[in-house]
Amino acid sequence: MEEKILENRDDLFAFAEFDEHESEHIAAPQYSYWKSVWRTFIKNKFTVAVSILLLVLILFALIQPSISGYSPLIAPNINNSEMRFLKPSAEHIFGTDNVGNEVFDVVWAGARNSIIISFVCTGINMILGILIGALWGFSKKMDKWMLEVYNVISNVPFLLLAMILSYVLGAGMGTLIFVMCVTEWIFVAFFIRTQVMIIRDREYNLASKCLGTSTWTMIKNNILPYLISVIMTYVARMIPSLISYEVFLSYMGLGLGVTKASLGRMISIYTSYMSGYPHLFWIPVTVLAVLSISLYIVGQKLADAADPRTHM
Amino acid sequence: MNKGYILSRLIRSAVSIILIMAIVFVLVYTLIPRNSIFAGDDGYRKLAAKPDDKTDYVYNIWQKQGYLTFVRSADYFQTLYDMDSPEMAAALQPGSDAAEEFKAKYEAQGYTVETYTKSGRYYAYKDVPIIKHIAIWFANLIIIDTPRSVQDENNPDLKRGLSFGRTESGGLALIGSGTTHKYLLYTDSHFPWLHQNIIKLNFGDSYPTYQGLNVMTVLFQSQGSEVKRPVTYETGKEGESGIIFGSLTYKFKLDRLDRQKFADNYATFQTAKNQPSMIGTSFIIGIFALILSYGLGLPIGVLMARRKDKLADKLGMVYIIFIIAVPSLAYIYLFRYLATKAFALPSVFTTYGASDIRSWILPTISLALPSIAGLMLWTRRYVVDQMSQDYVKFAKAKGLSQREIFNDHIFKNAIIPIAQGIPASLAGCIAGAIITESIYAVGGMGKMLPNAIQQYNNTMVVALVFLFSTISVLSVLAGDIILIKIDPRISLAEKAGRS
Repeated sequence: MEEKILENRDDLFAFAEFDEHESEHIAAPQYSYWKSVWRTFIKNKFTVAVSILLLVLILFALIQPSISGYSPLIAPNINNSEMRFLKPSAEHIFGTDNVGNEVFDVVWAGARNSIIISFVCTGINMILGILIGALWGFSKKMDKWMLEVYNVISNVPFLLLAMILSYVLGAGMGTLIFVMCVTEWIFVAFFIRTQVMIIRDREYNLASKCLGTSTWTMIKNNILPYLISVIMTYVARMIPSLISYEVFLSYMGLGLGVTKASLGRMISIYTSYMSGYPHLFWIPVTVLAVLSISLYIVGQKLADAADPRTHM
Repeated sequence: MNKGYILSRLIRSAVSIILIMAIVFVLVYTLIPRNSIFAGDDGYRKLAAKPDDKTDYVYNIWQKQGYLTFVRSADYFQTLYDMDSPEMAAALQPGSDAAEEFKAKYEAQGYTVETYTKSGRYYAYKDVPIIKHIAIWFANLIIIDTPRSVQDENNPDLKRGLSFGRTESGGLALIGSGTTHKYLLYTDSHFPWLHQNIIKLNFGDSYPTYQGLNVMTVLFQSQGSEVKRPVTYETGKEGESGIIFGSLTYKFKLDRLDRQKFADNYATFQTAKNQPSMIGTSFIIGIFALILSYGLGLPIGVLMARRKDKLADKLGMVYIIFIIAVPSLAYIYLFRYLATKAFALPSVFTTYGASDIRSWILPTISLALPSIAGLMLWTRRYVVDQMSQDYVKFAKAKGLSQREIFNDHIFKNAIIPIAQGIPASLAGCIAGAIITESIYAVGGMGKMLPNAIQQYNNTMVVALVFLFSTISVLSVLAGDIILIKIDPRISLAEKAGRS
């Protein structure tokens, strides 16, 4: 037995050729950041369910109004008092409102505008805020005067700005988006600045700086990935808060104007019917709450998933 | 603490406030057409049939508001000729030599000269540049009352000086003569017991709403109906009145009734009313809401952190998410609806008025709802972050009880960032709460800014922005000082050696 193995020794082993490609290979498990985010995100069944609900709601809000063709300027049943304040039923899913319109149509038309406004504003504010905030956090020279700019801008009353801008530019979607972005970005920037300041002096950044990495590369590769979870949390809070803003502005008579449906104006009109026709109050508030809460939850879970420490 | 740092912060704060005011002046006085300030003015509407009077009225108001300087040819002639002289009558004729002289003179000074549509006389106006407008506003902001304040041609014998004495209601007082206020300093039985009239902020007169009243009077004067009490005036005359003796100011034209009551020219006064002032109302609601939110928010936040991921924590998160996700308008209406059904509380403030405690309960709780959620969220966050620190493990290893660790170690560290926010929340009470106050019909500060903007009350807008932004800038500074006081590790000044 022993001899046999010894005899066959030459057959068992052969000299390997030197492979340059293989020698460069590092035998660590494959790691892709975004794949890991995705994997962590879909691991939780509850999160997936909420995300699907959110997606369905958004798609429905985007598509339904073009089918119903609802416009606040057209109220076909305005003179038909029998059509007003109907309770929800099979025929009128969400009932009818004070001018005889289907609440179902009004809600989705309103939801569409509110969703568009809050998403567009969040996008603009986050992009501006992150870019400026990252530079602001890095440059001490910039910090000195940006703090004063922040002090000034954050103290000009938002309402004054909103009222005068909507007076000068005229009420409308564009104005509303402009009003919601014109000062809001500086709060994002200030938040990002503080976060950047916390991690800019860590050892790995110091090392990176010593190796001659440019500021912009450091922001892009060393710092922003670290901030993705914080940014996601911020986004998750910002979208519902912008919808609330829109409600507030509509309540003050500064929203989209009468020609466009919005959840804000709807809620501010319908709240006065709360004791007599509670469905008029509850339906838009519920739609808004479901939308905001699911956005908030998805945002929070995305933030959790975006934190590399949860990928292990 | 670094005094130099505080000083430089104060200077920078002042610069910030000036910049804020500059932005607001540009917004209010250049972006809003100046004609729109007359939209809500009845006096203007009545002049529709008299174009010349209307022109006078419009330009006088604009001059008062600081938009422009305005000169009528008639006023100019008055400085040259006697009132009823024939030269005056000749000059007033349209097209006279004097009138052309007026036109040439003021056009040379950069004025625009135009003619009244009816009489054909000239008037001239020149816009005030916005920078000058701001400078004038700041120059008139603080008024110091001195014995030379009153200049009355009809009362040349007015004594000028200061003396000590008593007010009619018996308090000690520093009495001025020749000053605008009679009592410069006085004591009485009302909060804050010692009052002063020497240094006053002056924002100008409100227009077109609260016409003729000083902005400060509008904000600080008590509201509602007069509370009368039997009083004895200076002359010994007795009567029923709500007069506040401390508020007596100089009156240029006395009538018969004034002479019966007062021995001197100090005959203009404010009266005590049954409801607190606008600022007072907002402040009372705000303070109690603040106490409520800190009283509930902090302990609940700590509790949530201690029971992390258990039922209490989850219930708390449901509340927080609800407040974040539902607009405040909706949840305040909902809260009011539920609370009025469950308890015998009024749904609006005006049902029982300010004197009844029941009126205050719901607005106060409604205002506290969101701040409770905010405090819960942040307290929980800070306590959770502290719980994993090394000093907590060390305290545990030493054998301290859970309660001792939380109360003596964690809470003290977690409270630091929260304490920084207290001055800002205190200052926020003054600004009032727009939605809460309008839902409950409370006569507070919340509605003032939006109403002032909608009604083009420019002086009011500028005054409110100045008050709010000054208070908010200073409260940020106060928050930082508290931060340094309670946590000696923190230093705000730049350290030498660390660029």
